[in-house]
Amino acid sequence: MFLALRDLTFAKGRFLLMAAVIVMVALMMVLLTGLSSGLVDRNISGIRALPTTHLAFEYDDKPTWSNSMVERAMWEGWADQPGVMASTQLGNTMFNARTSKGEPVTLALWGMEPGSFIDPGADIGQPIGDDPYGVVVSRMLVAENNVEVGDTIVLDRVLTELKVVGLLDAHNNIAHTPIVYAPFRLWAEASYGPPGGPPEGESLPDILYDFATVVALQLGETTEIAAIDEQLFTVALDKPMSFVASTGYKAERDSVRINQGFLLVIATLIIGAFFSIWTIQRTQEIGLIKALGASTGYLVRDALAQVSLLLAVAVTCGVGIGYALGDLIVDGTDIPYVIDIDAMLISGALVFGGGLVGAFLAVRRIARIDPIIALGQLR
Amino acid sequence: MTLEVDSVSLVLGDGDQQVTALDKVSLVVGAGTLCAVMGPSGAGKSSLLAVCGGLLPPTSGRIKIEGKDMTALKEDERARLRRERVGFIFQQSNLVAALTAMDQLLLMSHINGRKPDRSARERAGQLLEEVGLKHRAGHRPHQMSGGERQRVGIARALMNDPSVLLVDEPTSMLDHGRGREVVGLLAKQTEEYGVATLMVTHDQAMLPWADQVAEIEDGFLGSPHRPDIDGGPPDDS
Repeated sequence: MFLALRDLTFAKGRFLLMAAVIVMVALMMVLLTGLSSGLVDRNISGIRALPTTHLAFEYDDKPTWSNSMVERAMWEGWADQPGVMASTQLGNTMFNARTSKGEPVTLALWGMEPGSFIDPGADIGQPIGDDPYGVVVSRMLVAENNVEVGDTIVLDRVLTELKVVGLLDAHNNIAHTPIVYAPFRLWAEASYGPPGGPPEGESLPDILYDFATVVALQLGETTEIAAIDEQLFTVALDKPMSFVASTGYKAERDSVRINQGFLLVIATLIIGAFFSIWTIQRTQEIGLIKALGASTGYLVRDALAQVSLLLAVAVTCGVGIGYALGDLIVDGTDIPYVIDIDAMLISGALVFGGGLVGAFLAVRRIARIDPIIALGQLR
Repeated sequence: MTLEVDSVSLVLGDGDQQVTALDKVSLVVGAGTLCAVMGPSGAGKSSLLAVCGGLLPPTSGRIKIEGKDMTALKEDERARLRRERVGFIFQQSNLVAALTAMDQLLLMSHINGRKPDRSARERAGQLLEEVGLKHRAGHRPHQMSGGERQRVGIARALMNDPSVLLVDEPTSMLDHGRGREVVGLLAKQTEEYGVATLMVTHDQAMLPWADQVAEIEDGFLGSPHRPDIDGGPPDDS
């Protein structure tokens, strides 16, 4: 570090510029990860908010939220299995609708038994259950469409009139669509019943209430999932896998990773290019120090120590600024953003690692510098 | 004898481009002796320094430093011998730009794998004092004159207590007065520290300080002899 530290202070302008570039790359990496994860999270935030360990879909090679349909026998079958701590049906149907203020909205109607373990309650107003047409809406409808307690939302085609009895603070979405929580019977009628509901004085056949989309489960560690799946014709997925079953989630997550990959390659190339030029500029000096008897190993170690120090300081600054900005975004705006400390540390570590690889490729040149260049006439 | 060059030849280039830079050169420089090798440009002066310092392996012949055959060593072993037993003094520009005069000397300890301890700092301070630059210890090369830089180079070469000093055109970038000053200092340190100093130069005016002189031309080295001058070094050395 003897030479490394003195070079850093001697050529501080150049190194400060380089550090600023690394800070920006690390900052971009953190912000982009936060923003993209925020967007991705808006796809599955409703699923993530479920207090479940697993979700059982109708058996399929690639089960999805839009195609799955489970029967009463399945959710009652799951409830009877050993190791199952909680089990209840959950219905999911997408609707176009119109608010009482006349605004068209798209919503995901989720049907569940009021008071069951997946019922989110309400942050403002009443939870579902007391009023058979009462629903609880999640934040996006409140923030973007000014839906309030007491409003009505009319579903297109089926003309079911939902009464907003409660609001949630959380952005609970599925496939980027805000979730409206409804009593299971209301959901079943809207999803499978005739438009406008049953004729007056009549009720709908019981079979209407025997279907849902998934079975929400809380399973113990010893539950024999595969055996139960086989018996009930379901496929139970843990939470991360059930995210994948949401439309577009995998593509979005992959695009985030591609972005991160590109940033990483850019960081590696920039730092590699900087240290290549730096090493070329120092060729004469490195030749001299070699002529004085320094080994290539000594000079490479010194150069890599210099890079490591520069990267450590710059990446820490970048990640720190990214954390602070993310905090401001989450607290002060409605922009989708996720502060994930692990993801930030991984981003930082990747930029550090990428930079070190780039620098290592650059400083290999040191080995090829011939100390003979220190002697003027043989240069 | 400290530096022995025994029938060393050096052929550079390939095929039609081959040049015999050194042709069966033999030379012995004893401890406390300043040997000047004179010759025009392209005569083989720098080649001689390069093979003596192990920067180039000779095509044939042997180089011995304190009796140790350098030509039998691998590249990393030659580098080690160079940092432990050989001091190099290059032309004016060969200081490390980022380092102060003091750090130029301490670098030698680092290269040797030793963190400079108190005794290394004391030695560096003493060497800087001997070359008259104690007050410049905290200055970087761009803040010093050509003569001062060359004196730092001399102090640096002596830092690891070498047995051989190899000196490349020490006066080529200096005016006459500063050149005399530097070579005078070199002669004094050679004697004081008992090193074998091999200096290549084309500057006749520096011969009064040499104990022996040899001419080189087209790779042939003549027999060393006493410098052919009257009266020895000038009084102002």
